[in-house]
Formats: sequence, structure tokens, C-alpha cells
Amino acid sequence: MTLSLNTRLLLASSMVLAAFLGITGLVLDSAFRASADTALRDRLQGYVYALLAASDLDARGKLHLPAELPDARFSLIGSGLYAEVVDGSGKPVWRSKSLLGLNIPFTKTPAVGEREFVKIEVERDLPLLSLAFTVGWEANGNSDRRYTYRVAENLVSFNAEVSRFRQNLWGWLAGAAILLLLVQGAVLRWSLAPLRRVAGDLHAIEAGLAQRLRGDYPRELRQLTDNLNGLLTSADNHLKRYRDSLGNLAHSLKTPLAVLRGAVDGEMNDAALRTIAREQLSGITQLIEYQLQRAAASGRTPLAAPVPVKPVVESIVAALAKVYADKGVEITLHIDAAVTFTGDAGDLTEMLGNLLDNACKWCRRRVQVSAHMRPPAVATQAALDITVEDDGPGIPADLRARVMQRGARADESTPGHGLGLAMVQDHVALYHGQLQLDTSSLGGLAVRLYFPVPP
Amino acid sequence: MRILVVEDEASLRAQLEAQLRKAGYAVDAAADGEDGFYLGRENPFDLAVVDLGLPKLSGIDVIRRWRAAGRSFPVLILTARGLWQDKVEGLNAGADDYLTKPFQAEELHARINALLRRAAGVAKPVLQCGPISLDMTAHTVQVDNLPLELTGYEYKVLEYLMLNRGKVISKTELTEHVYDQDFDRDSNVIEVFIGRLRRKLDPENRTQPIETLRGRGYRFTLECGEG
Repeated sequence: MTLSLNTRLLLASSMVLAAFLGITGLVLDSAFRASADTALRDRLQGYVYALLAASDLDARGKLHLPAELPDARFSLIGSGLYAEVVDGSGKPVWRSKSLLGLNIPFTKTPAVGEREFVKIEVERDLPLLSLAFTVGWEANGNSDRRYTYRVAENLVSFNAEVSRFRQNLWGWLAGAAILLLLVQGAVLRWSLAPLRRVAGDLHAIEAGLAQRLRGDYPRELRQLTDNLNGLLTSADNHLKRYRDSLGNLAHSLKTPLAVLRGAVDGEMNDAALRTIAREQLSGITQLIEYQLQRAAASGRTPLAAPVPVKPVVESIVAALAKVYADKGVEITLHIDAAVTFTGDAGDLTEMLGNLLDNACKWCRRRVQVSAHMRPPAVATQAALDITVEDDGPGIPADLRARVMQRGARADESTPGHGLGLAMVQDHVALYHGQLQLDTSSLGGLAVRLYFPVPP
Repeated sequence: MRILVVEDEASLRAQLEAQLRKAGYAVDAAADGEDGFYLGRENPFDLAVVDLGLPKLSGIDVIRRWRAAGRSFPVLILTARGLWQDKVEGLNAGADDYLTKPFQAEELHARINALLRRAAGVAKPVLQCGPISLDMTAHTVQVDNLPLELTGYEYKVLEYLMLNRGKVISKTELTEHVYDQDFDRDSNVIEVFIGRLRRKLDPENRTQPIETLRGRGYRFTLECGEG
């Protein structure tokens, strides 16, 4: 299945957006957690130092802590901040008032100068982070006493803070995502609007409401719409040509048919009837062939690639060499490999096939084809010149105009000369070119074709 | 001379067959490209008339395959569209001449004659060998400028021998080129034709135009020029 452009763009950008915002969220979340954690640990460390500073040894070497402690919460029962001091044997020396009624299983007794953080869960709903720090106390110069200070703080408010931050963070990110998606959808709609317009125009053309794509399209689409318009125009011309051909054919068939009918209905002997039928039949055949070939011509289409002329001429010459093998026609080519015809290869074959066939038919021995590109000059466009000439009898200047008329022939004994020329002229006109009859330096007829090269 | 007609349109095919038979050729016909290709590959035809638009295998492909299989008989293509593109493609695929539909019977005969003559290396339609002159357009024979009455088969045998003059032609080869596929072949008939031809062409046994090579076949011995 093919997804629509809109869906593709939306899907892709939504996924990128989700990934981006998700990663941002995770990074921010863990960074915040880490810094909150560090702050908590620093605070615990601070309590320990404060307790240490407040501690005092009496004359007997007993540790005392004042009633007024550095943080009032030590003295409030169940305040969430707890402390105790144990001596080297693990016996508690001092407990904060806040510990009353609580039994916190401090277990850590680190070495002197070391600190250890431990998470403790006393009861459900009472998670604690505790820090144990051991100091060595020199009393009276000799006896070395060790005390371990243990401080613990309730994590409930810490956790609440973290989860509040988390809610805020994800809330904002989700809001931003929705906003971005909305903006993106709008941008997409706006950007793809010209495509929808093309589709709408095409619908209108299909429905017969319009002839071509109208309106101003963005630069990226203009190549496409211009080509579409060109194709539409050439298809239109093609259709018109078919229609014309059909009409012409139907009209021009009426005359020979009328003659035939008259001959059949009239009193006429078999031989005369046969002669008339034969004449009219060959006329009908020519009419059909002429109109068919005319209708089959493609004409200039906007997407036509340049066709190299030389291979086309060579294949026609190879074919005609067989047809005129008995006559031994010498065909010389003066065509550069770089000479190209901008148009349909089939049309070129029809034109050159007709001209070369005529030339071979009428020549004594020699036929010559030359083609070259004429560079653009001040007043004229670049053009392709093709000349087909022979050493035959040629056509007298006063007959040339008549020969070009459809179906006319200079010599009735070789059928199709005029027909071929009229055909070629029709094709040449489709390419806005010109056809000229001239006298060849070989002595016979020279047919010159001239095609302007589209810029 | 034996001709293969490959044409899918039944009425035109029947018409072509009838016209060509009447003109004195042995004719086989095929209605589609595959049959046509097979017939042409398996039988020694002297010429083929091939329509370009054929079912199963296009006329152009049929010609290409014949040529690829080494069949070199001349081919005349029939085209309905009359487009040069079709003609050029057909001729370059290996055909030798074209005819655009509809065509007149005389035009068809003229083209076939020209192709057969060209294939035999004879440019003019009349072949003059000693006192015998063979007119391949009119299908008539004269000896010492006097017209000679020959049956269709006698003419065909003589024409084939004269076009292949100097070469030894076996009875089988003669039979294959004189009769179409459906004919019940009997090589004794050829001996009878040769005997009759000898009596008619050379009643006094002067020139002895047809030589018998025992076990190998016949040879036309006279020197020929194009008259």
C-alpha cells in the first residue's frame, strides 16, 4: 500500500519528535535526580560536621552534645531528621530526641575517616537515607576513642520533590509535542496545498470543465505542471488531428464511392466497369493511407528527446537498398553523428522514408542525403537542415506547387510521389518546419527540410 | 517454384493461395506466426509472403528466426499500416521487399517475380539459354523463337532447372520445389516430366539441354545469357 505524502511526512516527523522529546525528558529527569541526590548527601554531610562541631569531651573522656542542636528538627519527635553517635564498641553514646520511639537499624560502622551512605526502610512509608561517619578522637593525649556519627533523613519529601519535577517535566514536554504536531500539520497542509490544487485541476480537466492546469504553482512544481500542460496540449492536438483525419477521410471517400455507385447502377460493359472500379479503388486506397499516416504523426511533444539523425537514415537506407537492389542505387550520406532531430523518431522515419523512397524511385543512379545543424544567428533560431536529392528528372519549377497538393502526382505512371510529398509536408508543419523543392546539383530534385530547434 | 504464404486473414490467405496457384506456383499457407515459422524452417521454399501483423509470433520475429536458422529464401512482407517504421523494421529484420495492403494482383506477381529472379541472380525477366528462352513474367517458353506448349508442372520443372543451371538437382529437390506439401509425391512423375521436356525442347536430340546424372539427379547444361 502506498501511504499518502501527508501521512508519510506526519508519521516521520512525529516519530522524530517523539524520540527527541523522549530522550530530552529522560536526560533531564536523570540529571535532576542526580543533582537532588547530591544535594541531599551534601546536606547529610553538613549535619554530621555540625554535630561534630557541637560535640565535646568532658574531663573523663565522655562525649557530650548540647541540648541546642544545629538543626531544630533533631529535637522534634518524628521530625524526619535523626542522629546518633556510637562508640568504638557499637554502644550508643548519644541519640537525638527525634529518635524517641523509633528504632532505626543503623548498621554501618565504617573505618575512621570513611563515610558510608545507606538507604534504610524502617517501616513502610518511611524510607531513609543514612550517613555513617567515623572519627578518631584523641583524649588526654593517649587513649584513642572512636565515635561513629550516624545521621538519617526522611526521603519522603525528597521523593515528592523528584516526582513533582517529573510530572512537571513530562507535562510540559507533552504539551510542547502536541503544539509542535499541530503546527507541523498546519505547515504540511499549507505546503501540500499546491499538490491538492493540481489534483483538483486534473479532476476538472477529467470532468471536461477545464483544458489545462491553471494558476500559479510553486517553482518546484512548475516543471511538472508545465510538462503536464504541454502533454495535454499535444494530446489535444493529436485528438484534433485524428478527428480531422476521420472527417476528411469520410468526406473524401464520398466522391469515389459516388462514382462507383454510378458505374454499378449505369449501363456499362464489364471491362469499362472494371477500369472504373480499379481507378476508384486505388484512389480510395491512397486516401486511406494518406489520412492514416497523417493521423499517426506524433508531432512535437514537450518531453521529446533529441533523436540522432544518422542511425535513422542509415536504417532506412539499408532497407531501401534491398527494395531497389535491381536498380543498383548509390546512396551517399553527409551527416555528422552529432546532428539530432528534436521530436518523434517515428515521424522522422516517415518523412525520410517517403523522401528517400521517392528519390530512389526517380533517380538514375545517385541519391544523396545531407543533414547539418545551423547555429542560431541574429535573426534566426538554431535549426536542423536535411536535404534529400537525386539525379533523376526532377520536377519543373512551374509544377512544384501543384505536386505539393495532396494526392497530386507529377507523373501518373509512378504512383504516390505527390502523396508522399504532401505527407512529408504535413509532418514538417507539425514541427513548425518548412519544406522546399529545388533543383539538385546532381541534376534531379532536391527536397530541403528545415526544422527550427526549440530553445 | 514453391511459395509459403503466412497470413492470418482467412479470406486474403485463400485469395493469395488461389492467385499464386493460378500463376503456376506451388503454394503452402500458414495462418499464424508459429506455424509459418515451422513450415518455413522445415521445407525448402523459394519465397515467402509474410504479413507483419500475425498472431502468436509477429511477422518480423518469424523472419528474424528464419534468418537465424539459416533460411535464406527471399521474403516479401505485407503491411497494412503502410508506416515506414514497419517497412524499415521488416526489411532490416531480413525481408527483401514490401507491399502495402491493399495491393493489386499484378503488383504482387511483379514483386514475387523480381525477388525470384534476384535470388537466382538474374536481373531480367527473360532467360535465354541456347535456343531456349524462358519468360518468367509471362511463364512462357520459346524454342528458336517459336512458342512451346508446356503444362504448368513442366514449366515449373524447366524454370527450376534453368534458374539453377550448371548445378546438379536431385529428384527430391525438384519434387519439393514443384509441389506443395499436400501433394502425394512420386519421383517417377519427375522422370516422366523430364522425358516429356526433352522431347519438346529438343525433338531432334541436338542440344541435349537436360543431362541425367545417374543416382544424383539432373543438370541443365546450356550456357545462358539474359535476353
